[in-house]
Amino acid sequence: MTWGSHSVDCYPGGCPFRVYSKDGKILREEQGGKLPVIEPGVPDMNPMGCQKGASWCHIHYSPDRVTQPLKRAGERGEGKWQPVSWDQAFTEIADAMLDAMVEDGPESIINLMTPEPGAGPARQFTNALGTPTTDGNSEFQDFSPGFYITWGKFNPVSSMDDWFLAELTLIWHANPVYTNIHWYHYVAESRYNGGEVVTIAPDYSPSAIHADYHVPVRIGTDAALALSMCKVIIDAGLYNRKFVQEQTDLGLLIRTDNSRFLRGSDVAEGDRDDQFFWMDDRSKVLTPAPRATLAMGDIDPALEGTLTVTLKDGSKVECIPAFARLREKLKDYEPEEAAKVCEIHPDAIRKLARKVATRRTKIFIGWNSGKYYHGDLYERAMTLLLGLTGNWGKKGTGTRSWAISALDGGSFMRQKGRLGQDAAREWVTNLAKARRMLTGDDPTLTMEMVTYRAAQMAAELGGLGRMIPPAFLWYYQYGYKERWNNPDNNDPSMKRTFDEYLNEAIEKGWWDSGLAKKYREVRPRVLFEAGGNMLRRQRGGQKLLLDKLWPDLKMIVSVDFRMNTTGMYSDFILPAAQHYEKIGNSMPSVHHLNFVLIDKAVDPPPGVLNDYDIGIGLVRKIEQRAAEREMLQFADKNGTMHDLKGITDKMTYDGELLDEDRRWDEAIRDDAAYGVLPPDSTLEVARQKGTIRWTGWGLVGHGLGQASTIKPDEVHNPFRWHTEDKLPYPTLTRRAQFYIDHEWFLEAGEEFPTHKEPPTHGGPARKFKMTSGHNRWSIHSMNMTNNIILNTHRGEPFMFLNDRDAKAKGIENGEWVRVVSDVGSMQITAKISPSVRPGQVIVYNGFEPYMHREWYSQADVEPGHVKWLGLVGGYGHLQYRPLQWQPVPADRAVYVDVEKIA
Amino acid sequence: MGTITQSKRQLAWVFDLNKCIGCQTCSVACKVLWTQDEGTEHQWWMTVNTQPGAGTPKNYESMGGGYRDGKATLGKLPSPEEFGGGWDYNYDEVLRGGKGRDAHLEKVAGSKTWGPNWDEDEGAGEFPNAYFFYLPRLCNHCTVPGCVEACPNDALYKDPENGLVLRNEDLCKGAQMCARACPYKKIYFNPSLGISQQCIGCFPRIEQGVAPACVRQCPGRAAWIGFLDDEYGPVSKLVNKWKVAMPLHAEWGTKPNVFYVPPLSPAPLNPDGSFNENAERIPQSYLESLFGSDVSGAVDTLKAEMEKRRRGEASELMDILVMYKWEEALGPFTRDPAEIVWMSPANGGS
Repeated sequence: MTWGSHSVDCYPGGCPFRVYSKDGKILREEQGGKLPVIEPGVPDMNPMGCQKGASWCHIHYSPDRVTQPLKRAGERGEGKWQPVSWDQAFTEIADAMLDAMVEDGPESIINLMTPEPGAGPARQFTNALGTPTTDGNSEFQDFSPGFYITWGKFNPVSSMDDWFLAELTLIWHANPVYTNIHWYHYVAESRYNGGEVVTIAPDYSPSAIHADYHVPVRIGTDAALALSMCKVIIDAGLYNRKFVQEQTDLGLLIRTDNSRFLRGSDVAEGDRDDQFFWMDDRSKVLTPAPRATLAMGDIDPALEGTLTVTLKDGSKVECIPAFARLREKLKDYEPEEAAKVCEIHPDAIRKLARKVATRRTKIFIGWNSGKYYHGDLYERAMTLLLGLTGNWGKKGTGTRSWAISALDGGSFMRQKGRLGQDAAREWVTNLAKARRMLTGDDPTLTMEMVTYRAAQMAAELGGLGRMIPPAFLWYYQYGYKERWNNPDNNDPSMKRTFDEYLNEAIEKGWWDSGLAKKYREVRPRVLFEAGGNMLRRQRGGQKLLLDKLWPDLKMIVSVDFRMNTTGMYSDFILPAAQHYEKIGNSMPSVHHLNFVLIDKAVDPPPGVLNDYDIGIGLVRKIEQRAAEREMLQFADKNGTMHDLKGITDKMTYDGELLDEDRRWDEAIRDDAAYGVLPPDSTLEVARQKGTIRWTGWGLVGHGLGQASTIKPDEVHNPFRWHTEDKLPYPTLTRRAQFYIDHEWFLEAGEEFPTHKEPPTHGGPARKFKMTSGHNRWSIHSMNMTNNIILNTHRGEPFMFLNDRDAKAKGIENGEWVRVVSDVGSMQITAKISPSVRPGQVIVYNGFEPYMHREWYSQADVEPGHVKWLGLVGGYGHLQYRPLQWQPVPADRAVYVDVEKIA
Repeated sequence: MGTITQSKRQLAWVFDLNKCIGCQTCSVACKVLWTQDEGTEHQWWMTVNTQPGAGTPKNYESMGGGYRDGKATLGKLPSPEEFGGGWDYNYDEVLRGGKGRDAHLEKVAGSKTWGPNWDEDEGAGEFPNAYFFYLPRLCNHCTVPGCVEACPNDALYKDPENGLVLRNEDLCKGAQMCARACPYKKIYFNPSLGISQQCIGCFPRIEQGVAPACVRQCPGRAAWIGFLDDEYGPVSKLVNKWKVAMPLHAEWGTKPNVFYVPPLSPAPLNPDGSFNENAERIPQSYLESLFGSDVSGAVDTLKAEMEKRRRGEASELMDILVMYKWEEALGPFTRDPAEIVWMSPANGGS
């Protein structure tokens, strides 16, 4: 019996299971049930774990498991395989990589970041060869762009037990009854604790059934609803004036002549471009808004009125506070007007607005909103609603996204230079010093800001292990150029073509760190995916990829424990150990704040390696084959030479890290040295306890973004360094920023959040809108083919369709139908329910393409374009930072038709 | 025909339908623990269905059985097609068969038109006032179990210590009278062994002080187990003191020992789209058809206590339903299964 969990992206994951095995075979698993109460009066987290975790052992032995390296023996996709030795597989893959390095450069080897954290070590060759890894927040698109625009970070989240303390929970762009099975109970329990729950969704979603109210918002009109609530709150004087003044940019002055913020560089020679101003409400005097603190001192920043300011050239300009401009902007959102857009009754809008204004309110959001073309606007409107009402930075408030932390031990394993915790302590001391030096001439930078700057600089410098925003690769090399310039796929208010905006962004150098220019020319030659399923996931569909990208690829590698659709189209499938066959840790999520051990319960089958050994095995082979070619070094894009000779020894500390227990013990001890885990933490301690609660964030940006101190006996709520300690936000204005005066945002009319209809992507004449979401039954396609799980639903791909729509089309429940858009089609069965909004089809994603007739799935009807404003850069926090700001694809509210199959 | 011998004590389950999210963790936990052998592929001793719906087996509510006017009756024997499920797939053909897109993953065993959760999330009503909720079901371990009485081979009995309805598989000859007598249709046939099988209340765990898998593994914290006569336990308090938990189809006369806290639902919308706070989205008549006429009293009690809590007042009922400490759900069966050396592989390794 061992502790176990699952290294999957079922955020937040982290469920401690006991794994029972006998004679080298896993028998079953059961939740541990040992998690303590953290804050007195708040329920514990037991028994964390869902149906997928409770039957995980079944897919250890599923017929889609791969137990020896497979080489393609027929055409790609045909399903003919030849078992080969690891040595042969490594040799052929290493040779293909070295050929690509020599012929087309390291950028021609594409390594996809995937949502399975345990697969990371299989990708170690990227650190040897300096090849890029595509940024996961575009690949799997779980970004929340509107939160990022507002806060300069998208990822502040509470611990799950904080949800119990909400007085009002708005489930909005989320379906936690499906996707947060292991902690939805806190929402249900908050109702028994005196709270209310409101579900805002176009359909009567499974997460509406336990709500007090269901608000059936029309698809894609959430910003109108939120902004109307904001208007009600402002008009009734229900907003939190002090919070607005102190925590947000709404007190900052805007020039009425050009709609830009008034800046230091406008007012005085030599003053900063990022110095902003308030008007003191009592004295009506122009006052610099401090950059080092949110504390207002004696100033009472005006939210209304005008001020005439003398600029440095002697001219005068009228300025008004952003709040006053917002009030003007919101005049279009009178509930009676908004109701025509979002189809919610004005009384309901008013009622809801008053609830938000008077209660500790949380927005339970998933990763759905960011997948809408204008999801940034929905999220900005939501944060405005919370900001006006002071609903973040205290218990029972806030929103959510995905956030990880406490990875320092693994992250810095190589950087620390030698084994042992003294080395770790030295490394972290030097790192902190180095980061402090980055503050340069600006002592007002917080450690959070410095850490972000360091991440940006790492991207700018390139070098080994770099991450790139993949949008430019997609545009030039995957075949998206035509689609992204199709007006149907875009915002009709765009004044220029997508291509013009993209070229401007590239020419201005906004995306240099993302290799935007490079991918105009470089053709991908090698595609490497570990723990992912690109042909299911990629918005825009497999047909595009197979037509445009695949023919140029000389080598495609899938590392996985199972055969997925991408594996079927690969040249090699390298079999990885399953979760209970290696040591690992579950998603290190801020929602639970635990290091959760996945211990090795049994040995992997004889032909299978764990991800680390696959990664090192490939690196060793690359080193060997490179030596045979007398290729001992290579140059990165900056001309820096890197050794290939000795790289394996360097990565493994002369083989020491090859021992699995040794490697994990070292990482956990380092976590303790970095202050992320308690001082006595070791692998042995983890094996006894199963979970170890974090004691600090370490130096990882995702953790520091929480901006709140972890306390042993309190729920975690982010932003408290801002709301309580008055540390500034990592945005251009150093405040939660609702007004973006970037030229493109002004051109778009999106300087404030606003309502815009989703584009007619898929085809303007089509009658249905396809929405989506994660399903109840699997984590993406992983676990989808688990026969036990298949037996808990229809066991075949299905989509939900409204009963009246089905009747009108003569479609029977369970019948195979075809869903069509301008870019493709798929076959799927219909599941008919009055819970679905008329005109809507819902495809809960994750079905393996090869479960569909013809193998085309949901992604094949999604055009898969990005919003042009995602290309903005060169503006304070709006510039590329790995896993943060970047162009991301939209796949919701796609225009489709549903056809009977003759 | 078998005779019902009453037990000293009676175990009972309570499920809070306001916390149940239909996640199937209970079903899957049970499946992995008990029904993975040949002959049990189609057996799901624990199921969760969307209501209103046909459930499992399909349309079981109209199959008869139980006691009508105090008289034991034999209902219909559900067919394998009505149970549905039991699927297996053509993995090899798709993944290794060399057919490419000409073959897709499809069912090669079991029903193609029904499964244990086929009508998941379909529900009833008309948009925007559609409605549904989840109903977990297992053997009711009835106080008057029609199955025991119907068995021609005396294979079924009530455990004298805890009231679980158990089967002596050595005596069972597969007559399936039990399955006809059970009005809840929670008894399955094992074609490999030629016997009937059903939920055993995880008695090997109960004997060791460990709660049944369906309760202990419920991540929604929607389930409790305990003895009905333990007046300080949450089960008894919910059933007897607060009277907010009631059995399913009490009119079938078997005195079931699985109780349900009835579902609340969001305010429906008026034709103009405004909230109608004075009406119920789930028709009261529908809830009464499942849980009897006392259900409206239970709903009123729940609403009144929730309202009290919103005013900041204390409520014992709300405290129970919150379940501040998860172990409260487990009754006297709080032992950690990981501390036990299990003899049977089905319970875990040694």
